[in-house]
Amino acid sequence: MLNLHGYGVRLVEGALVTIELAAASLIIAVLLGLVTASAKLSKRRLPHLLATLYTTLIRGVPDLVLMMLFFFGGQMLMNDVSDWLYARFGLDLFINIDAFIAGVLTIGLIFGAYMGETFRGAIQAVDEGQLEAATACGMSQALIFRRIRFPLMMRHALPGLSNNWLVLLKTTALVSVIGLSDMVHVATQASKATLEPFTFMLFVGAIYLLLTSLSEWVFKRLTRKYNAGFAGEES
Amino acid sequence: MIDTLLSPFAIWLAERAIFTPDTLAVYWQGVETTLSLVSLSLLLGFLISLPLSLARGSRRGWLRRPVQAFTYVFRGTPLLVQLYLIYYGVVFIDDVQESWLWPLVKEPFLPALVAFTLNTVAYTTEIFHGAIANTPRGELEAARACGMSRPLMYRRIVFPSAFRRALPAYGNEVILTLHASAIASTVTLMDLTGAAQFVYSRFYAPFEAFIFAALIYLVITLTLLYALRRLEARFNPQLRGVRKQRRKIMAFGNAIPQKP
Amino acid sequence: MPLPSDSRPAPTSPDPAEVLLRAEGVEKRFGDTRVLKGISLTARRGDVITLIGSSGSGKSTFLRCLNLLEQPDGGELEVHGQPIHFTTTRHGRVPQDEKRVQWMRSRVAMVFQNFNLWSHMTLLENIIEAPIHVQGTPRAEAIDQARRLLAKVGLEERADHYPAQLSGGQQQRGAIARALAMNPDVMLFDEPTSALDPELVGDVLAVMRQLAEEGRTMVLVTHEMGFARDVSTRVMYLNQGEVEEEGPPQQVLGSPQSARLRQFLTTR
Repeated sequence: MLNLHGYGVRLVEGALVTIELAAASLIIAVLLGLVTASAKLSKRRLPHLLATLYTTLIRGVPDLVLMMLFFFGGQMLMNDVSDWLYARFGLDLFINIDAFIAGVLTIGLIFGAYMGETFRGAIQAVDEGQLEAATACGMSQALIFRRIRFPLMMRHALPGLSNNWLVLLKTTALVSVIGLSDMVHVATQASKATLEPFTFMLFVGAIYLLLTSLSEWVFKRLTRKYNAGFAGEES
Repeated sequence: MIDTLLSPFAIWLAERAIFTPDTLAVYWQGVETTLSLVSLSLLLGFLISLPLSLARGSRRGWLRRPVQAFTYVFRGTPLLVQLYLIYYGVVFIDDVQESWLWPLVKEPFLPALVAFTLNTVAYTTEIFHGAIANTPRGELEAARACGMSRPLMYRRIVFPSAFRRALPAYGNEVILTLHASAIASTVTLMDLTGAAQFVYSRFYAPFEAFIFAALIYLVITLTLLYALRRLEARFNPQLRGVRKQRRKIMAFGNAIPQKP
Repeated sequence: MPLPSDSRPAPTSPDPAEVLLRAEGVEKRFGDTRVLKGISLTARRGDVITLIGSSGSGKSTFLRCLNLLEQPDGGELEVHGQPIHFTTTRHGRVPQDEKRVQWMRSRVAMVFQNFNLWSHMTLLENIIEAPIHVQGTPRAEAIDQARRLLAKVGLEERADHYPAQLSGGQQQRGAIARALAMNPDVMLFDEPTSALDPELVGDVLAVMRQLAEEGRTMVLVTHEMGFARDVSTRVMYLNQGEVEEEGPPQQVLGSPQSARLRQFLTTR
């Protein structure tokens, strides 16, 4: 049997941190992605410019570098703000941003850019004719979005969404580098303490495999649901 | 007048003194390390993937299933975990510390290279396998009808056509490997990210240190993108004229690939 | 060629030939090209007006101006006596009141060349969508009406099928049922059979003929000359954005006056 040298509980706690981190980041990423996509598709120059700048910078730089920049830079900013508050107002307030929150915001920000591209492609892939038919029926823009554009877009967005989720899940491992106690962090510490890296890394790897397999199963179910009317069409 | 304008800036620079020739040299070494790590793992990965992708599509289970298992595991787990396994685990190979390999493997470069190569092999194999499997049935039938043997058909029809099909996804993988290489810094490899970490810890200047590295990565990424688009255009002449030949930076922004 | 004069019916006398749709001097520009150079059309109850012409003549563009899928750069538009007012903004000439436009569109239904059924809904769901969400019809009532309409176009067994599971002819008949579900005053048909395989065209034309015989007011763009001759009350021949000839089908199609129209007809 697998001897976890008593690290079992902490590993499970770490796994929970990983899952919570990934789920929370996903929500932020999806919301950001929707905003970014509509900004990119906007006819006005400013939203389009900002969105393009955002996606270019995020997708042109490695995740780890961005994480370090946001995390260590953020820490320094918080220190400076605390100092300023003390100097100005005499407030002895130490603003400490929870590492978890920092992780969620960072990963959410990074993957918001990727989600933005996924949603943009999906929105553009919606059949113009069906949107026109909705307009011709006298539907308002809001109604068209709710009843026609969004459902049709989701079908196109699902593959990209699923891929982004899987990558996001694996990227959460990087937060161990900036000190967040996810399961990779626990495993690293355990490996160093017990000098049995294989045990813990393989265990963590297995959990990740479990999570990705589970995600892919959910994705298959969702695909079947959203492709209900499309049997016989080429994907 | 100019003195009064420039002096605050000069003072600011003198106080900072981060981007001295020494630090720039550290960054440059980092760039060299990153580029060599990335290009070596891509090259090895590409070569190893070719036969593996054929095995991946084989009807023979004993060929196909091991490759499937390999890609499943290496695409389903984080690269960081794979890297740790190899880097920390290599010490446990019996007698390795006495062998000739030791000086090589105790430095982080070789373990990192192995980890990244294995990782890119997994993704690239799936990409090539997908491209081969998506060869239009009609092209295969026409080849058979001409009396082509299987090896000839693969050489003249399947591979060239699959290569064109795989190019967008493989270009994607190239850029992602570049970005993934930053992870090597976690095992003390002095790549570009490692250089940034060094400068940060030395000067306690996270913004300067990491933004500078980020900009370098961005420039390399955009250059790679440009080269890849030219390559795609060259191998897809039937699409010429449909694609815009001149691209502005904004268009580059749109062209940066998605994660797989 | 002088156009027939418009005489608006006096408000007091009940007029069986009331004007349901009136367009006057419609102009449209795409960039520098003037696609429509002042086209007028009056549709009275029971009229079946067919627009014919070669591609580029502007017939589809004009049809799409009638329900404001295209915004005309000039001219007037009136639906059931209610005019649509336009203002000029920096985007060009747009309708003043978006709510009025939506109301108008529920009274003027369109059938598209590519059917444009909503692919994520079944046929039945397609048909009840606008009545429920635009016109506020209760769901049960909308479903009842939808089933009746499906029976009318011969698709009652396909109510729970998705568009992808239907042939082109079936999809178009479904689209016609969807248009009928809104109880429109006028129905617009934009080349309804052009995207269909030849064998399926007949079924759709049969449904359209039935609608005409029931007294539906229809404006259609089509290449089906036989249909134009047999079913229309009026034919308009458009050439380069203008109405070149207009009148009863026997006159326009039987003894065409202009040389271009004669040439157009010989190739069909």
